[in-house]
Amino acid sequence: MEEVKVKKETNLTDPAEIENRIKELCQQFPHGITDQVIQNDLPHLEPQQRAMAINKLLSLGQLDLLRNSSGLLYRMKDSQSTSKMKGSDNQEKLVYQIIEDAGNKGIWSRDIRFKSNLPLTEINKILKNLESKKLIKAVKSVAASKKKVYMLYNLQPDRSVTGGAWYSDQDFESEFVEVLNQQCFKFLQSKAEVARDSKQSPMVQRNSSFATSHEVWKYICELGISKVDLSMDDIETILNTLIYDGKVEMTIIAAKEGTVGSVDGQMKLYRGVNPVIQPTGLVKTPCGLCPVFDDCQDGGEISPSTCIYMSEWLDF
Amino acid sequence: MAGKGRGVAAFTFNIEALGIGRGSMPEARVGPSPLFPNTDFKPVPLRAGEDEDYMLALKQELRGTMQRLPHNIKIQSNKADVEKYTEKYLKQRQMEDDEWTPDWNLFPKELMPQKKKPRPKAGMKTKTKKTRKDTEDMLSKLDELAKKDDGNPEKSDDETEKKTGKNENEEEEIEEEEYDDEDIEEENDYIESYFDNGEDFAADSDDNMDGEATY
Amino acid sequence: MTAQEVRLCGLLLREHFGEVVEKVGTHLLRSGTQNLRTIIHETGVSLDLVKKSLCVLMQHGACVFSSGRKGPGSPTEYQVTCDRILRILRYPRYIYTAKTLYGDTGELIIEELLQRGHMTMSSTVKTVADRLTQNMEEGHSMDYNEVSAAFSKLVETHFLQRCPPMAVAQTTDKTTPGTPAAPGTPAEAVSTTTPTPESFPDCYKVPDVTLIGRGKRQLSGEDGEDQRNAKKAKLDSEVRTHGDEGIYWQVTFERFHLHFRDQAIINAVASRLDQTSSEIVRTMLRMSEVLTSPTATCTKPLSANEIFRALPTSYNIPRPILDQYLTLLVDDPMEFVGKAGESGGGMYVVNLHKALSNLARATLESVVQERFGSRSARIFRLLLRKRHLEQKQVEDFAMIPAKEAKDMLYTLLSQNLVQLQEIPKTPDYAPSRTFYLYTVNQLPTARMLLQNCYKTVANLIERRLFETKESKRLLEKSQRIEAILASLQASGAEPEQLKEVEEMITAPEKQQLDALRLHVNKLDSAENQVDETIFLLECYIDSTATTTR
Repeated sequence: MEEVKVKKETNLTDPAEIENRIKELCQQFPHGITDQVIQNDLPHLEPQQRAMAINKLLSLGQLDLLRNSSGLLYRMKDSQSTSKMKGSDNQEKLVYQIIEDAGNKGIWSRDIRFKSNLPLTEINKILKNLESKKLIKAVKSVAASKKKVYMLYNLQPDRSVTGGAWYSDQDFESEFVEVLNQQCFKFLQSKAEVARDSKQSPMVQRNSSFATSHEVWKYICELGISKVDLSMDDIETILNTLIYDGKVEMTIIAAKEGTVGSVDGQMKLYRGVNPVIQPTGLVKTPCGLCPVFDDCQDGGEISPSTCIYMSEWLDF
Repeated sequence: MAGKGRGVAAFTFNIEALGIGRGSMPEARVGPSPLFPNTDFKPVPLRAGEDEDYMLALKQELRGTMQRLPHNIKIQSNKADVEKYTEKYLKQRQMEDDEWTPDWNLFPKELMPQKKKPRPKAGMKTKTKKTRKDTEDMLSKLDELAKKDDGNPEKSDDETEKKTGKNENEEEEIEEEEYDDEDIEEENDYIESYFDNGEDFAADSDDNMDGEATY
Repeated sequence: MTAQEVRLCGLLLREHFGEVVEKVGTHLLRSGTQNLRTIIHETGVSLDLVKKSLCVLMQHGACVFSSGRKGPGSPTEYQVTCDRILRILRYPRYIYTAKTLYGDTGELIIEELLQRGHMTMSSTVKTVADRLTQNMEEGHSMDYNEVSAAFSKLVETHFLQRCPPMAVAQTTDKTTPGTPAAPGTPAEAVSTTTPTPESFPDCYKVPDVTLIGRGKRQLSGEDGEDQRNAKKAKLDSEVRTHGDEGIYWQVTFERFHLHFRDQAIINAVASRLDQTSSEIVRTMLRMSEVLTSPTATCTKPLSANEIFRALPTSYNIPRPILDQYLTLLVDDPMEFVGKAGESGGGMYVVNLHKALSNLARATLESVVQERFGSRSARIFRLLLRKRHLEQKQVEDFAMIPAKEAKDMLYTLLSQNLVQLQEIPKTPDYAPSRTFYLYTVNQLPTARMLLQNCYKTVANLIERRLFETKESKRLLEKSQRIEAILASLQASGAEPEQLKEVEEMITAPEKQQLDALRLHVNKLDSAENQVDETIFLLECYIDSTATTTR
C-alpha cells in the first residue's frame, strides 16, 4: 500500500519521472505500446500531462509514433542506440544528463568536467562515443571562435550560440550585413530626397527626412531580402553601422505609449546626412594611398622617380 | 619596467595577446614581397574645373617668372653651346629686369657686395642684339645641334658639369680668402652706383646715403 | 623642424630662387640661428653668394636677422623660417583669391608682391598699371589712380600690410645713419625677436603717394636696341620720388588664411546642409570679420535680428524661415553654429575651432576611407566616436567578422592611424589579465598626416623634375624651334619656311611632348590640391594651440 502511494506521488509531480516511466514501458514492450497501456500503468495521470510527456519524447526523437490495426502505437526510437545508452555505464549517463540539462544553449567540455568531476580524457572519450551514437552534437559557438558546445542531437541551437540573424552555420554573414547596410541607407536617402523636393519650410523638410527604426524595419521586411526573420533590434544594429559610416545620424525622441515603433516611451529616428567634405587633396595623389610610403626615398629603390604607382597614375 | 622587452619589434605590447599571431602579420607572410605591392584602391581623380585650371596656370607662370627674376641666383658657369643658344633666345622673349638693388636700410650692411664683380648676366646684354641675317645662321646651327644630339650627348653633358664644378670651387676659394669682418664697413665705400634694372623696382632715392649695391 | 619640412623647403627654394639659395636656406633651417661667417664656413658657399642668398631670403620674408644676441657687438645672426617658405606652395591660391575678390588689378598686385617679396606702393602701382595696359586694346591704358585705389582697398581689408621696420634690429650698429623713411623706433631697442607687423601702428596706413599717370605699354619691337632705348627713357622719367620711399608692403598671409578658413566652413555647411544655410553662415562670418580676433574660438555673438538685417536682400529669406535655418544649424551634430543666448531673437556664433576640428576629423576619415576602404573607415570613425574599444566591441559595433576586423585594426595600427592602450588588471602586466583598448588620437594623427602631406608634395616636385629631366633634350629642341619660329614670324618669313621649321619636331616627338605636358600639369595640380589638405590640417593644429591657452 505504502509503496503504491509513493509511486503515485512521484508520478504526478515530476514530468521527468513520467517520461522515464513511459520509456521503461516502451522498453518492456519493444514492439510498441498504445495510449491505453500508459493510462493503465499511470492511472492517476492527467490526460494533459500524459500528452505533454509524450510530445516531449516525440520532439526529442526518443519515441516514434506508429499506426497499426489497433490504432496509434508508441515505440522506442532507434532502440539500438538507446539500448546502448542503457547498456552504457553510469559515467556516460551522467555526462548525457549534464548535456541534456544545458538545453539548447549547449555546454562547453570544460564545464562538463567541473560538473561531472570526471577526468577530461574520460569525458572526451564519452563525448566521442555519444556523438557517434548521434545522441549529442557539437556546435561551434559564435561567442568565441573554436569553442565548441555540446547539446542533445535534435535540439535547435539558441541564438546566443548561432549569433542570430547574422550567422549561417556559425559563420558571420558579412555580405548579408553589407547588403542590409546599403538597403537601409537607400531607404533613408530616398526619404531625404523626397523631403528635399517637397519645397516645404526647412524645418518640415528636415523632420520629414527622419524615419523611425520601425519604418526601416518594415521596409526591409517587405523587401524580402532576408531568409531569416529580422527583429527591430537587428535593424537598429545595421543602422548603427551606417552612423559609423558617417552617412546617417540618429535622434531619440519621447513617444506616446503605444506609438508604433516606440520602446519604453522612446523612439529612435534616423536620417541620411551629407558628407562635410569631398575627398581630401592628399588622397588624390598616389602617395596618399601608397603602401610603401615610409620606404620611399630620393635615390632609393622606392623613390618618386622609380614609383610605378606614380607612372600608372600619370598615364591614366 | 614591466611593459618593456616583450612583444614584437615596434610595439610595446604583446601583439599575440591580441590574437594577432606572428603568422597573421602582413610582414610574416611567406614569399618575398614585391617592391610595389598591388593596391586595392586608386587615387581619387583630381578636381577639375576653371578654378583649378587657372591656379595651375598661375603656378606654372609664377615658377617661370621667378626663375627669371634676379632673386633667382645663378651660378656663373661656362655653359655648353646648346644652353647658350637656348638661353639667348629665351632671354630675348623675357622682359624682366636683370638686376636688383635691395634697400640697404632694411638689411644688415655686412651683406653689401664688397666690390663690383663681373655680373653673371653682363655678357648677355650685348647678345640681345639680333638681326634678320641671324635667322639662316640659326637654322644651320640647329641642324648641327640636332646631329650632335644623336651623337654622344652624355659626354658633352659630363664635360659641362665638370667644368662648372671646377670653376665654382676656384671662385669660392678666392673669395673666402677675401672675406674679413673688419673690412666690411670700409669696403662699402668702394661700392659703385650701379643701376640698370628696367623696372623701377626697389628704386633708390636721393636720401639713400649708403649708395646702391646691386645684385 | 622635421626632415620632410626641410626637404620640401629646399625644393621650393631651388625652384624659385635657385640652388644657391636652396643650399644656404636649408643649411639655416637645419642649424638654426647663425652668423654670416659660420654660414660661409659650414656651407662652403662663397661669401658673395651667401650674401646674395641672405638678401633674397630676407627680401621674401623668409629670413630674419638680429644682432647683439650674444652680447653687445656680437655679429648679426640670421634665422630662416620654414613656414614662410612653405607658403610658396600657396602662392597660386593667394593670387587667385585676390582675383575673385578684387578683380584683375587685385590679382596682379598680389602676384607682383609675391614675386618680389616686398615693394613700395608706388612701384607696385606702376608695374601693375603697365602690365594691365599691356593687355588692353591699342590706344587704351590703365590709370595709376585706379590701381592705387585697388591697392588701398587691399590694405584697408588687411590683405596687404607694411613690412615691419627692420631698422630695429640694426640699432646696435652705430655707424648706421637714421633711416628717414622708416618710422621712428627707439634707437636703444635691441630686439632679438622680430617685431610683428601688427605691433607697428601704421601697419595698415596707406601713405600719401604722389602718383599721376597711366600705365605704359612695353614696346615689343623686334629690335633689341629699341627696347633698350625705351627702357632707358622710361628709367629717366622715373627717377622721381613719390613720397613713399622706404615704405614697403607685403602680403598678409594670415589674413588670406582667415579668408580660406571661412571659405572652408562655408563650403562645409553648403555640402552638409544646403546653399541657403551656407549663405547665412557666410553673412555671419562677414559681419564678425572685424570684431573677431584671428585666434578666437568662435565669432562674436550676433542676434538673429542683426543677421536678418545683414542678409543680402537677394536671398529673399523671410524672418521666420531664417529662425528655422538657425535652429537647424544649431541642431546639426557638426555644430558649425552655436546658440549663445536668447536676446535679440536669439544670439548666435560660428564655432570656428569646433568647425576646424570637425573638418580635420573629416579629413582624417577621408584618408582612411580612400586608402583602406569604407569598412576600415567605419572602424576608424567608430573609434573616434567611442574613444576606447576592445577588439570584440569593434567587431560587434562595426559588424565586421573577427578575422577581418583584426586585420584592419592591425593595418591601421601599423600605420599609426590607430593606437592601442594596455590596461592591466593586475600589476604583473600579464597579457591574459590586461585590457587592450583601441583608440584614435585626432591631434597626433593630424600632425602625422600633415607630415605625410609635406612628403607627398616633395615627391610630386621630385617626380616633375625627373619627368622634365627625362625629356630635357626634346624640351630644349622645342624651345629652340619656338624661338626660331617667333623670330621668323617677326621677320615676315614665308609660310613655307615656317612650316619647314615646325616640321623639325617629328610626330613621335610631339606625342612625347604632349604626354610630358599632361604629366607636368597633373603633378602641378596635385600639388595645389594637396596644399588644401595642408592648409586645413595646419589651421586645425594651430587652433588647438590657442584653445588650450
